[in-house]
Amino acid sequence: MPEETTNLQQFKSGILDNNPVLVQLLGMCPTLAVTNSVENALVMGAAATFVVVMSNLITSLLRNLIKPHVRILIFTLTIATFVTIADLALKAYVYDVSKQLGAFIPLIIVNCMIICRAEVVAIKSGVGKSLADAFGIGIGFTLALCILGVIREILGSGSITLPIWGPLFKFPAGYEPHAWVIMILPPGAFLTLGVVVGVVNFIRHRGEKGGA
Amino acid sequence: MDGVTLGGLVGILLSVVLVNNFVFQGFLGICPFLGVSRKIGTAFGMGCAVTFVITMAGAITWIIMHGVLEPIGARVFQDAKALNFLQYVAFIMVIASMVQLVEMYLKKFFPSLYTALGVYLPLITTNCAILGACLYIYMKPETAPFLNALVYAFGGGVGFMMAITIMAGIREHIRFSDVPKPLQGAGVTLLVAGILALAFTGFTGIGK
Repeated sequence: MPEETTNLQQFKSGILDNNPVLVQLLGMCPTLAVTNSVENALVMGAAATFVVVMSNLITSLLRNLIKPHVRILIFTLTIATFVTIADLALKAYVYDVSKQLGAFIPLIIVNCMIICRAEVVAIKSGVGKSLADAFGIGIGFTLALCILGVIREILGSGSITLPIWGPLFKFPAGYEPHAWVIMILPPGAFLTLGVVVGVVNFIRHRGEKGGA
Repeated sequence: MDGVTLGGLVGILLSVVLVNNFVFQGFLGICPFLGVSRKIGTAFGMGCAVTFVITMAGAITWIIMHGVLEPIGARVFQDAKALNFLQYVAFIMVIASMVQLVEMYLKKFFPSLYTALGVYLPLITTNCAILGACLYIYMKPETAPFLNALVYAFGGGVGFMMAITIMAGIREHIRFSDVPKPLQGAGVTLLVAGILALAFTGFTGIGK
């Protein structure tokens, strides 16, 4: 079955059915750590998307040369190289955000979502399919991070602010939002993700009732 | 050595086990924390394996940074930080090969420990607590002396072991309670972790 999927299906499955964060529960550490604001979530999502696309591209190009018993090491080194590039680029262009993300940019190296894509798709598929898969997974990851970021930033800070576009969301004047600080602190991350995963499960199982 | 005092070491240990617990405050090692916390026994075994590897990795990466990359950078490029871009590649290589070495060593000399930890050892390479600890050791000024770095890494492992064992204890009881269907599994585990994290914020301020 997976052999017959078209590139478009592969792309879509990463965003919806196989969303890495909300369905597969992979890459939890950055998901919890950087979603205290939408801006951090977007930058983190972009960096991870870049790394997963490049790692899938290289793995897919080299797939006939890689010996099975050293494949994990090669995946890890490929990923580490592109994470170094992403880290240096972020430090050069968005220094403040990169300082806030701190160790979580280098920690993309051990994000199981990226190694999982190399192992499951890129090592056995052509370049086109691997790229479609990587873009789908990357966008799915960014989307999930943004959902969490929006919830936590609205509840915790009472507004959403992006430096490029200015304030995106504000409560109407006269209503003083009660900032729920705990949502920006670590416990809020666990609670928000728990509730969001529950909601996603609820929606998925409601759809399945008719079929199975 | 400069900067090494008994009080300082105790402070680092308390801070990394309780106040800045890797799982609840630092979000490191969440994948095994959710995946391997069904039974107390296996959770404790995983915690021990992580503590062991994290201490070794902390020591070796400290030596790589201060004994190899910085001196070469200083001598060849006249800048101690010139080779810092190699840090990530070097660290992940060290961790991956060390996990393999530890696995072979335990298999040969401590077969009983090997069979007890066996399944979890290869998984540790992609545990972000290990790489995270090594990176934080280099970023934080207070862990610059070797002994402080060692205590920090060990404390991080102990904190992880404590967190995953507590979680496993709670999950063994959750099995008998009536959890709403969509929340079963990961959902309720995350909610419990959130409440535990809330409890751990109470330690803020200790050791200052």
